[in-house]
Amino acid sequence: MRNTLKLLAVIATLSASLAAQGGSDTKGKFFFKKTCKSCHSAGGNAKEITPLSKTQAQWKAYFAAGKHKKGTEKIDSVIKPEQVKDVQTFLVNHASDSPQPETCGG
Amino acid sequence: MGTIRMDRRLFLKSAGATAGAVAALQVGCLKYFKKGRSSAGDTKEIPTTCELCPNKCSAIAVVEGGFVKKLNPNPENPKSRDMLCARGNAAIKQVYDPDRLKQPMIRVGARGEGKWKPVSWDEAFDFAAKKLSEVKDKYGPQASLWSSTEGFQEVFFKNLGLSFGSPNLVRHPTLCLASVNLAYSATFGTVPSFDLLNSKFVIMSGANRFESIITPDTMDLIGGVMERKAKLVYLDPRFTVTAAKADEWYPIKPGTDLAFILAMIHVIIAEGRHSKDFVATYTTGFEQLAEHVKQYTPEWAEKETEIPAKDIVRIAREFADAGARALYYAGRRSSWYQNDFQMRRAQAILNAIVGNWDQMGGMVPNAKLPKGEFLFMPWDEPKAPRVDEVQKEFPLAAAGDGVYLKLRENVLSGKPYPIKAWMVYKQDPMNSLPDQAKTLKMIEQMDFIGVIDVQMSDMAWYADVVFPESAYLERTDPVEVMPGIWPAVVFRQQVVKPIHDTKPNLEIVQGLAKRLGLGDYFDYTIEQWVEAEFKDLPIPMASEHMKKHGVWAASGQPSYGKTLTPDHRFVTKTGKIEIFSERLQEAGYDPLPVYAAPVQPPGDRFRLILGRVGYFTHANQSNNVWLHEFMKENDLWINPKPAERLGIRDGAYVSVSSSVGSVKLKARVTGEIRPDCVFMLHGFGKKSKMQSLVYNVGASDAVILETAWDKVSGNAAFHETFVKVANA
Repeated sequence: MRNTLKLLAVIATLSASLAAQGGSDTKGKFFFKKTCKSCHSAGGNAKEITPLSKTQAQWKAYFAAGKHKKGTEKIDSVIKPEQVKDVQTFLVNHASDSPQPETCGG
Repeated sequence: MGTIRMDRRLFLKSAGATAGAVAALQVGCLKYFKKGRSSAGDTKEIPTTCELCPNKCSAIAVVEGGFVKKLNPNPENPKSRDMLCARGNAAIKQVYDPDRLKQPMIRVGARGEGKWKPVSWDEAFDFAAKKLSEVKDKYGPQASLWSSTEGFQEVFFKNLGLSFGSPNLVRHPTLCLASVNLAYSATFGTVPSFDLLNSKFVIMSGANRFESIITPDTMDLIGGVMERKAKLVYLDPRFTVTAAKADEWYPIKPGTDLAFILAMIHVIIAEGRHSKDFVATYTTGFEQLAEHVKQYTPEWAEKETEIPAKDIVRIAREFADAGARALYYAGRRSSWYQNDFQMRRAQAILNAIVGNWDQMGGMVPNAKLPKGEFLFMPWDEPKAPRVDEVQKEFPLAAAGDGVYLKLRENVLSGKPYPIKAWMVYKQDPMNSLPDQAKTLKMIEQMDFIGVIDVQMSDMAWYADVVFPESAYLERTDPVEVMPGIWPAVVFRQQVVKPIHDTKPNLEIVQGLAKRLGLGDYFDYTIEQWVEAEFKDLPIPMASEHMKKHGVWAASGQPSYGKTLTPDHRFVTKTGKIEIFSERLQEAGYDPLPVYAAPVQPPGDRFRLILGRVGYFTHANQSNNVWLHEFMKENDLWINPKPAERLGIRDGAYVSVSSSVGSVKLKARVTGEIRPDCVFMLHGFGKKSKMQSLVYNVGASDAVILETAWDKVSGNAAFHETFVKVANA
């Protein structure tokens, strides 16, 4: 029991840095593809957007402003409020100046 | 002469014969595609994509009476063109291999004893799900480890691990090319292709491209070097086939390639031979580089590398003169030393300063093609951090791949937390990781091991349950975009029905997911998955096209120079090509490559160096009966001088011992290797009796290799082991 508690404490400490970032990259990718890409894709109704379209600072500033469609509507009227943080996490993590070492396959 | 040289001749002879045959086939195939697909009687021709190596060449399977009779190259793929190598042809024998796994099995004896009980799929799934759940309940989901190697169905395995709640996915790159990928990503923001077909001057460090893996870029190299007379300078302690075909071969002192490259940069900058406009427009940090390399003179490098200073100067001048069509080729070589990342960075920087970026005959950023995506239900992120502590120890590495050797160290120590279950897909850690004894210790401390594979690998031999995967010719896989100079989309479709009680990986994952309460995340079929991927291909009737042709490529010639506009933003911190890297500096690494001389072996020892041959390259094909015909056993290359001193005769058995293990294999006494090294091939000395052709034949390098890794990427360093050699 003591060992289990110790283990949980270690994991809680180590997890703190992850939790502090907030948002889920996996879910953010899903919501971005499902919602944003329905318009913001090649041949779509709006300009194509990918995570590489902005730097990390630009994405953070964009979500801090919380506006969509050149400021005419709130971002959480397009993406569900509970999904905004996830989409932001995905876009910031994969922004044009984010560290993105390439891999083999996968 | 020993077996390799004879086989090499045989291989080249057969390659020559194949080239002629291929030319004829190309004409035939082109006619065929113009005519459309037709079947004569019971014969069908089905396009698919090879899986015998990572190159993913397009193939056409000739099927008669439900059996694969022959595999032909598919000329529609601009990457693989009209080529299918010996290994690709031998995929038929993967299907009809009497040794392959034929049904699920549960271990009944001790681990590694080889006693198995054939079971139904339900029994195998129930058993594995129960064991995984027990570990999850007792230690948490992070106590499970999910190991895999690249493949079209790898995504399903990784998703099972993540949805189970484990952050501990560990892939092959840190046993392969992670140092290359990270070095080029850190410099250019991407890993480019090398336009070997059009280059005028190529330098290779140990990338034995003519011999170790035969893919279309091997053919480009042959085309470039042998036909167009591009110059090839090759550095290798061993006289390989590539050395034989090179214009200049230097048996460089092992581990000193970085000194050679830094001295080349020194000469080019000192003589003002760099591409000044390119450097000014597209790079950052050149001034710091110029100051940094002043210390690395050719005379200094001669002492380190044993390559004459006058040759270094001449090669640097010739390289710079070739300018945009000069290439320091990264190749597919794995990492050998603990400074491998910095050696790769120096290569990337050398390429950058001669302005070969995005130029014909230079390095070309990979063109991509659009593809649809099947959107599956997402899960919550795993809560725990990775057990290999990548973010702390290797902050710039690809975290999703993990760092294999550090991971093994942490698993063995039980810190930061225990790992008690190990699921493995399409990977053989017993042979791909150095120090097999450590891997065996890791196996011993697992409560559960499950392996998914086509064959009984050594890893499967030590598992508790094995899930037999269908061979690639027996299954349909996700669609893959092949980025490159000639980008293409390839499709692997089922050619014949599984001949044994096997399943595609997706169905194995679904069987486990259902029992682990994760079925909703995998509620789709492979057909739904691939149709979603076909959807965004920019061609009419994409699904029909891909099923009929197996490949689609954008037409036209390669386009060069798309990124050569002053406003182009590279995917780096500064948006420029980073010669000096602030990101490296912030992470505590050298922002420019700094040379440190490698430790040399004591007088009674040799540095063990490794390599591959194209018949199997990786460890998992050496039991293929057709490929086995080319090479039946590995041996130890040793120079005649030390051999004479030690009384070792050609063909006699010798023992080769390091601090972690000892193996026995035949000696090949040859002047084609430096006296301070010995060499052996990878892929022999298997422990699995279901690898009957190579079971206990030759030796596995994994037994004697010591644990060492590159400091920045975490890539295993395979040339840091010193061995003693004695008559056995």
